[in-house]
Amino acid sequence: MTILAVLIGTLIFAVLAPILGCLLAGLDRKISARMQGRVGPPLLQPYYDVRKLIEKDDVAVNGTERVYIICALVFTLIAGGIFVSGGNLLMCIFVLTLGALFFILAAYCTSSPYAQVGASRETLQVMSYEPMVLFMAVAFFMAVQAILGMGSFDVRAVLYLDVPVITNIWLVFLGFLFVLTIKLRKSPFDLSYSHHAHQEIVKGVTTEMSGKTLAMVEVMHWCENVLFMLWVALFFVWGNPASIILALVVVAVVYFFEIWIDNNFARVKWQTMLTSAWVVALVAGGINIAFLAYL
Amino acid sequence: MATLGMLWFLILFPLVVAVVLLAVRNNQARNVIVVASAIVIGLASLFLVAANLGVDYWKPIPMASPLVVDIICMVLGVAIAAVILYFGIKYKNTLACVLAAVQVVGSLVFELMFAHNVEVTECLYLDSLSLLMAFIIGIVGSGICVYALGYMEDFQAHQPEGAKDRRPVFFALMFVFLSAMFVIIFSNNMMWMFTGWEVTTVCSFLLIGYTRTEESLNNAFRQIVMNLIGGIAFLVALYVMAIEMGTLSLLEFLQLGIMYPEMVALPACALALAGITKAAQMPFHTWLLGAMVAPTPTSALLHSSTMVKAGVFLLIKLAPIFYLSQIPSVMVILVGGITFVLCSFMAISQSNAKRVLAYSTIANLGLIVACAGVGTPEAVWAACFLILFHAIAKSLLFLCVGTAEHHIGSRDIEDMDQLFQRMPKLARFMMLGIMVMFIAPFGMLIAKWATLVSFVEMRQVALIVMLAFGSAATFFFWGKWLGKLSAIAAEPDNVELSVHKSEWGSLLLMVVLAILSCACLPLISQAVVDPYIQSVYGTRAADIQFTNQLLAALLAIVVIIVLFAGVGKQNKSKQAQVYLAGYSANNEQRVFKNSLSGTTEATMRNWYLEGIFGETRIRPVGEWVCGIIIAAAIIISAFGTSVIF
Amino acid sequence: MSYATKSPWVIHYDGSSCNGCDIEVLAALCPGYDVERFGIINTGNPKHADIFLVTGSINEQNISVVQEIYNQMVEPKVVIACGICACSAGIFHDCYNVIGGVDKAIPVDVYAPGCAVRPEAIIDAVVQGLAILDEKSKALKAQKKGA
Repeated sequence: MTILAVLIGTLIFAVLAPILGCLLAGLDRKISARMQGRVGPPLLQPYYDVRKLIEKDDVAVNGTERVYIICALVFTLIAGGIFVSGGNLLMCIFVLTLGALFFILAAYCTSSPYAQVGASRETLQVMSYEPMVLFMAVAFFMAVQAILGMGSFDVRAVLYLDVPVITNIWLVFLGFLFVLTIKLRKSPFDLSYSHHAHQEIVKGVTTEMSGKTLAMVEVMHWCENVLFMLWVALFFVWGNPASIILALVVVAVVYFFEIWIDNNFARVKWQTMLTSAWVVALVAGGINIAFLAYL
Repeated sequence: MATLGMLWFLILFPLVVAVVLLAVRNNQARNVIVVASAIVIGLASLFLVAANLGVDYWKPIPMASPLVVDIICMVLGVAIAAVILYFGIKYKNTLACVLAAVQVVGSLVFELMFAHNVEVTECLYLDSLSLLMAFIIGIVGSGICVYALGYMEDFQAHQPEGAKDRRPVFFALMFVFLSAMFVIIFSNNMMWMFTGWEVTTVCSFLLIGYTRTEESLNNAFRQIVMNLIGGIAFLVALYVMAIEMGTLSLLEFLQLGIMYPEMVALPACALALAGITKAAQMPFHTWLLGAMVAPTPTSALLHSSTMVKAGVFLLIKLAPIFYLSQIPSVMVILVGGITFVLCSFMAISQSNAKRVLAYSTIANLGLIVACAGVGTPEAVWAACFLILFHAIAKSLLFLCVGTAEHHIGSRDIEDMDQLFQRMPKLARFMMLGIMVMFIAPFGMLIAKWATLVSFVEMRQVALIVMLAFGSAATFFFWGKWLGKLSAIAAEPDNVELSVHKSEWGSLLLMVVLAILSCACLPLISQAVVDPYIQSVYGTRAADIQFTNQLLAALLAIVVIIVLFAGVGKQNKSKQAQVYLAGYSANNEQRVFKNSLSGTTEATMRNWYLEGIFGETRIRPVGEWVCGIIIAAAIIISAFGTSVIF
Repeated sequence: MSYATKSPWVIHYDGSSCNGCDIEVLAALCPGYDVERFGIINTGNPKHADIFLVTGSINEQNISVVQEIYNQMVEPKVVIACGICACSAGIFHDCYNVIGGVDKAIPVDVYAPGCAVRPEAIIDAVVQGLAILDEKSKALKAQKKGA
């Protein structure tokens, strides 16, 4: 029964993803600090931050914001659960988008000028990366079809492959790396909400969130990041158990690369983000999918 | 025999009601009649659906074409032309007159010279797609009629003093519309279908021009000209069918088409053109945008359950032919796909709520058209669900916008700030409608998902690309609207207390339908859509596994519960102010002290990205490309490829 | 120790400073001093911050701003006056519209004098502030339990 599998997957994801995501975030800050010639915070700093936020007083602009954030967190976890249980990749993407929508609504509902500017930028970011993410799923299906002879959107299909899907869709992978920067909210695409201090819209989407609500947002981001890394790993896993090691190495390299970009590029304007993300999607996704379809 | 009676009842009863309404001038009496007959029509269509649930074959109703009906068709054809000519001459629109004249002469010649030789033995039929449509027309359509009661009362009150009360005509036309739609979906005899087709055209002409202002007349004429082109294309198809194929039966035409796909290329193209004009695809999309000047119930009726749905209904019926016949298929796929992506883009640049809805309608119809063009069982499955969810969600949204317009005095999305508090129930209904339109796990997106899968399986690369970009744009324009609605600030006055009961009734009906259809998606698939696929293709469509449908339905229920029970409540957190950089003058109202020692209210306008997605940039591209595609397809199918090469 | 002391996020507000102290506050975040070692982040948002660093004196123009930012910070919170102007208005104390140090507007927990205040002094003050933050955090917890 798939529903049961998704439920179990969600539970597993809800336990493991925050732990892994927290460590990943700690590593991120540590490496960023080293790139800037600093020592940086302890590895568990993100964990301390969240614990502190939970201890803070309970304050909110309205009663609705937290409901939306809880929804966003829950749907992110379910998206992870769908992936972990080997379920449908498209479903995973759609449910994650639903989570993103609730995150946006949480910011909009506060009627705060800064949060609302952040929310509209976040909406624009979703529009920018969505085509490439859909292409990723489609390319995955076609690559599985090219290798197995029968297409599938199911994540578990990778276990039956002789070669990883990256062999067929490396161009899509490159395109996906591009939009991954937007999804990870890394500079140059951290328009809506940046972890760097001092930006023109204060803290963008999260401006009005505090205490437990903000803690949930942090946990949600950890889980999202883990899920994105799982997507990256999906390109490199095949029937051989040893491939998991390869996938882990690739994930590490990809994340390091994203940190490097974050520290080396200044934020761009939304026009640049939208047009570049769409052009990349059209070229990388379009060409690769056309190749798979016609050759 | 019982079924035959039901069909005739559904076709004739609204006509009787229309005649009665024409005579009734008393408001009270009209309210009673409309509500009662809407309930009767709704129940009758429900009964029809229930009695025939799961019918997985083409269920013909044996009945030779009675001569009297043929004569009625002819008389109606002449009457329609007379109406158009009357208005065309009165308002000096030559093009409409010429087209109407061409059409009436063409159809008279056809009926007197050719149609008599062709005998159609089964004039009416029933299959699961007709049932689905009957459900939409009977429930959603009559729900809109009920809504119109309260709306038109307010509308009349807003009219200048001494304006003529033409509401009897308005309501009569609404019911004639329903009747004509029932004719279209139940007719096997293409002649009858054509008559229904033309009746919807002229009804919407009269409804759009209802206010008789210059703007509304211009738009009404644009509608009639475009749809007359479609009507003439339909007539061309009838000529070819009668002369070359010797049949006027839809079933026989489809069977012949599947056997000899090359032979039916021309009639298929012509019928597709008729469907495309009616479904307001580019380059004919402007008539639907213009139709926005009409009172909102008209827009709701045209957009959700009738008129445009007639166009896509015909195209879905033809899907098996598109599956095999290349030229019409390419034309329909490209026109639908391009319309979907470009109209989704243009919706971003609109701030008028009704125009956003209009562009979204055209875009979604484009998707349905593209699905029909692909023609695989999976694509048709997706198209059926797109029709269902679109009808429900769109009528809900139109009714919401109409009610909001009468109570906040604007249909501009920018004026819908904090609707969440000003009209708490209505805003939630609107949010539900918007969510059903664009986000998983709700119906529209599940259908889009199936669409994507079917495109992938058919290796339609161009369509995949268009779907991906169009969907991204869809997220943006719905998302920003949703954000506008959801904002919460100081407690403004609740202005929804004066909404009419009839409006609440219809709104509630649409909400219940939307919730039920999303929650029961797997059941609808099993009971209605799968049987239709079975009846046409002999297989079942298995794009989205049952368990995934179930999962989506479960998630949808969760979101609906959150929307209606979770949000908008006070929790035990301490009330905080919003951050205004430390310079609040009145934090509740988001007013801050500005640099001139005065005060300014912080307000947020949406993004329209004019420079990228503006109408002036995109519209000509779409119109030219789609126009050329249609012209090329028809020329090639009429004269063979030799003309080109 | 409560977690508040392990992740003190600060907000920095420049009252009417000559910018000398502001530069030193930012210098504390740079590689030379790297206060992120202690989990300190400059958030720029009162709703996220635990420690309020004020530089410059309080005058008629900014007193309401300082108070509003302070009020928007979520408990537990600590205020640190950075530099002599923030402590007592310094050489500007008798200017026509200067009211005085930050303590004229809001309760101050730690004073870090200096003109300009040294980064070492800021770090010292924050460490002292952490002890107060810890106390306040425990008090809040006890209050929550009691309630």
